[in-house]
Amino acid sequence: MIEAWELRKEYGGFVAVEGSSFSVDRGEVFGIIGPNGAGKTTTLKMLAGLLEPTAGEAEVAGYDVSETEMRHQLGFLPEESPLYEEMTPKTYLDFFADLYDVDSAVARERREETLDDLDLEHRNRQLGDMSKGMKRKVAIARSLINDPEVLIYDEPASGLDPLTTNYIIEFTERLAEEGKTIIFSAHNLFHVESICDRVAIMNEGEIVARGDLDRLQDEYGETTYHVYTTVEIPESVRENGRYRTVVESMEAVDERREQAQAAGGEVVDIRTEQSSLEEVFLNVAQSGRPGQ
Amino acid sequence: MTIAGREISALSREKTIVLALIIQLFIAAFSSFLVVGLTSLYDPGSAGGEIEVGVSGDQQDKLLDAIAQSDSVSATVYESRAAALEAFENRAVNAALTARSKQTEQGNRIAVDAAVPAESLETTLIVVTLRDLLSDLEDSERSVRTEYLEFSPVEIADDPAGTGSDFTQYFSFTYTILLPLLLFLPPFISGSVVVDSVTEEIERGTLELLRVAPISLTDIVDGKAFAMILLAPLQALLWIALLQFNDIPISYIPLLALLVLATATITTAIGLLLGLLTGTRQKAQLLYSMIVLLLFGGAAALPEHPATTAALLAVDSPTVTTFAHVAGYTLVAIAGYAVIRWYVGRLDPESL
Amino acid sequence: MNPRKLLRIARWEVTKNAGGLDRRTIAVVVVAVAGLALVAPVVGVGGVGVDDGIYRVAVDDDSQYDDVVANDSTFTVREASSRDALERGTVDLWIGERGVEPADSRKGAAAYEELRESASTYNNQQLAKEGNQTAAFPVSVTVQFREQASLNTSLGAGSGNSDGDDSPATDPDDDSPSTGGDDSETDQSGTEDDATGSVGDDDSTADGNTGGAPPGGVTGPLSEDELSGSPADINPPFPFQSLVLAFIFVIPLNFLIQAYGSTMLSERLKRRGELLLVSPVTRLDIIGGKTLPYFAGAMVTEGAIAVGLVYVARGELGGLISMLAIMPLVLLFLGATFLGSMFARSFKELTFVTVTITVVLTSYAFVPAIFTDIDSLALISPLTLVVRDLQGEAIGFQGFIFSTLPPLLSALVFFGLGSGLYREEDMFDQRSISGKVLDALAGPISRPYHVGVMTMILIPFVFVIQLLAIALLFATGDLSVPLILVVVAVVEEIAKSLHIYASYDHNRFDATARVAIVLGIASGVGFFLGEKIALLAQLVGLQNLAVAEAGLSGGVADVSGPVVILFLLAPLVLHIVTAAISALGARKNRRAYLLALAVAIAVHFVYNFTVVRSFV
Repeated sequence: MIEAWELRKEYGGFVAVEGSSFSVDRGEVFGIIGPNGAGKTTTLKMLAGLLEPTAGEAEVAGYDVSETEMRHQLGFLPEESPLYEEMTPKTYLDFFADLYDVDSAVARERREETLDDLDLEHRNRQLGDMSKGMKRKVAIARSLINDPEVLIYDEPASGLDPLTTNYIIEFTERLAEEGKTIIFSAHNLFHVESICDRVAIMNEGEIVARGDLDRLQDEYGETTYHVYTTVEIPESVRENGRYRTVVESMEAVDERREQAQAAGGEVVDIRTEQSSLEEVFLNVAQSGRPGQ
Repeated sequence: MTIAGREISALSREKTIVLALIIQLFIAAFSSFLVVGLTSLYDPGSAGGEIEVGVSGDQQDKLLDAIAQSDSVSATVYESRAAALEAFENRAVNAALTARSKQTEQGNRIAVDAAVPAESLETTLIVVTLRDLLSDLEDSERSVRTEYLEFSPVEIADDPAGTGSDFTQYFSFTYTILLPLLLFLPPFISGSVVVDSVTEEIERGTLELLRVAPISLTDIVDGKAFAMILLAPLQALLWIALLQFNDIPISYIPLLALLVLATATITTAIGLLLGLLTGTRQKAQLLYSMIVLLLFGGAAALPEHPATTAALLAVDSPTVTTFAHVAGYTLVAIAGYAVIRWYVGRLDPESL
Repeated sequence: MNPRKLLRIARWEVTKNAGGLDRRTIAVVVVAVAGLALVAPVVGVGGVGVDDGIYRVAVDDDSQYDDVVANDSTFTVREASSRDALERGTVDLWIGERGVEPADSRKGAAAYEELRESASTYNNQQLAKEGNQTAAFPVSVTVQFREQASLNTSLGAGSGNSDGDDSPATDPDDDSPSTGGDDSETDQSGTEDDATGSVGDDDSTADGNTGGAPPGGVTGPLSEDELSGSPADINPPFPFQSLVLAFIFVIPLNFLIQAYGSTMLSERLKRRGELLLVSPVTRLDIIGGKTLPYFAGAMVTEGAIAVGLVYVARGELGGLISMLAIMPLVLLFLGATFLGSMFARSFKELTFVTVTITVVLTSYAFVPAIFTDIDSLALISPLTLVVRDLQGEAIGFQGFIFSTLPPLLSALVFFGLGSGLYREEDMFDQRSISGKVLDALAGPISRPYHVGVMTMILIPFVFVIQLLAIALLFATGDLSVPLILVVVAVVEEIAKSLHIYASYDHNRFDATARVAIVLGIASGVGFFLGEKIALLAQLVGLQNLAVAEAGLSGGVADVSGPVVILFLLAPLVLHIVTAAISALGARKNRRAYLLALAVAIAVHFVYNFTVVRSFV
């Protein structure tokens, strides 16, 4: 549903995104993560047709992103939801439904349905008088008003309280289950882990790592081995009557086993632990551009 | 005061002050052009050159006598009006004059038929020259007939200093139009900028940031207002200095500065009030320009319009009324600003 | 472009702001407008004596001058015991046994002259009360405005008036009442004498200009082919009232652009407009939709004013021509404001931008219109068409085109450049105004020939600015031709090179000398081709004016044979050379550009001055 080939964006002399390629299948949830200024938003805006790529191409739902027709298939949620404060949720959504050529009866039904789903009250209050969370919900409702196949969400839960954040993440998950293709950016990795099928990690304008979460963990994460012995060996910590040593490779495990045997003890347990996505992300980000 | 400083530094950084000065300079240059250009158009002397007229008709001798007295007209005599008109149409002469004697109940009158170009740059010059010429003719004819008149016209000799009527117009324009324009434009712009400044903070939500600092809303509003109120007399003084530099003496400069200060305070108070009341720039600016224009126009109902007050002070002809007006504006300004402060003081910041 | 969506956005723009304008605001606006309407006639027609009492006079009660002084409100009587008051500066005029004595100052001289004029007005007023009117006004005058044979109507490239410095009317050489000029007898309608202030014989002779305004306060009959009365009644044609009326057309536009600029800029604040950009509408729909209500509102207002004024002035329904003429002006105001709101970063900046627009465009509309009855020069401004329409004069098709096309094209360029900036990258960017100007110019340029096209696009501005300069400067007499040439050189060189500098600033081209020269050639050729718009000026015969000749056509004169080719090519070479000079500087940095630009301007000026000197 989403294809990007070697997307590149320059502002003046500054390269914001460099050689970004990826593809997202129908029904998939794809996360882009990275620190601030990594080029996530620029990438998403190029996909949404808001920014013209300096080089490279992208397709969404089978249309080139420069085509107007593509926009009918797209729901875009920008990082900040700039709303027209003087409008009410009703007039606001109806206005956009009209721009997306949605039949007014269908639009009314869809509007009420989505606002119900989102638990939004005060539908006739001016948007300017609403809380941040409510505004965000209206913005999400707007992104769904044309029943798009593809959703591009830029930091959908940024700056909201934990309750609303959870609510919005769950809502997004439900949308994915309904078969929407979703691409979104985040720097809160907890959300990514919970709903993403695949992620790409960006740093300084480039995708530095990508794949499903397992593969990324294998590649960039560290597996640590906790070796439990009956006797004390160097660097070991006493724990529940046993001694625990943490090492990072199988060779080291073998070494500890020999040490334990030499001291007259034995290895009673070996446990492996994988690093979280957060640690993977930190590893990748700190090392800058690891070889691919 | 910190906020006033911030406002001023923000303005200077945006170079908008420079822009404002350029605009005002442009307006001044534009209006001076208008008067200089127009008066030179109307004054035959300054436009230079003399005009050639074709003369005919039975009273042509009297006309020729008058022409002989004038240094800006020369004449060619034609035997008939038709011949003169033909010469006119072929552009051999600038105008064709036919002077005939015309019988009325009370005697004879000289009737002059003048043909002048319908659409030409010189039309104005020609018409004015002819008017002067025929007025001279009228004067000499009238003097012969004084016995029939009860009123003897007031005579004033030509100006000993040799300045023309365009000088009077230029002089009067400088003090009555140009100077008030330069003095009252800065207060108008000040108020307008305050509207922007207040509504922009409200619309962007940055007023909240300022409020976190340990200052009250009144301080914030004071800061914004003082910056703009003080800027107006400074600009006005700049213009006054420029006029002085151009040998245009300006009297009562401190009072003029006070007048501008008072006006700026009034416009700023209006701007603040509208900005806080409406909260949106579009509404506030619309109302601001309407109300200020209305006030400025409505001031015509006062014994002295503010523009006249400024002119009388600058030209050194003030009367007691003039001083009373300045005092009145100052009082209104102080009262107006006090009202604003009172309003801001009891305003709930959350409501913005 | 999708008309349905454009209209939808227009409807939204209206309802959104209607919702924004609450009842209280509307009520205040209504009251304010009503108040302005009440005040306007008083202020507009000069009822406010701004110069009341500026001259101080010491005069005896029994002096005959006392009545004169009392009759003119610019004088105020001061008590003074002796002539010393003159020296002490407490009075400006002392009227005693020795007659009228002015103070030895500029003010004294001005006061003296004012008194002389007042005396003449006073005399006429008193004489009008005489029983024997023939003796009181022994001379009666009838002035007829008649067409003369036209000077030089055979057009053709380069056939400008070769002796433009002489006044056309004193040309003895022109003995051909040629093809276009046979309308010399058409203006005999003067006999019907409807609205003219025919006075002489009857009562109110002197309604002289007590206000001290330039003569013209009384001329105002809206349609006049003939003036009659005593000599003092004859005033030159100065459509003062028409101008005031025309001013009524411009005032609403200034309020309009305030609101329009606000809505355009608020779309850029807080990235509000982003979501419209990502919806399936083009930016032309958005801009068109947001502009349409303001344009329509303006046209409805202007239409109502036009119909109303025509009804008042001519007592009949009409005003279509006024409306058509004012339309390019409306678009120009909106276009300039649109571009300005794309440049401004904050409301404060927008205020300054709109004030600039107001001042510049109002003077563009006004200054030429002052000369409405005087020359084709006036046609530079579309307001002239309005004034002429109000006066019930016929307006030629060519004149209409000449008047309206340049502002229309300029408005389109404004909208074009502005919509180039109406995209995510530029809209929400906080670059400075000058940076945005460069963005707007560099945006569409990616190949060398684009530079030439951009030069052509900028030509309507060059044309409008030069016309305005002509209108402003022609009254300066001998100096006018050199001054205009300076303006021409500056404006043309900037128009040819600013976008070259902008594209170097945006790294569009290699900074080699070869590329710079190519860009210079492109720009020069583009200008040479585009400049042909100046031929428009010949439609209305503007080239008969020496200053216009100098300003608009680089002084191509009547020459023959092989020299013609030289004179056709010379401007082309000039434009290429000067554009290349600027381009060479532009490729380095700003200082080098400004320096090179100054050189180019100097070269251009020297060339023009030489050509004009030798052939005009």
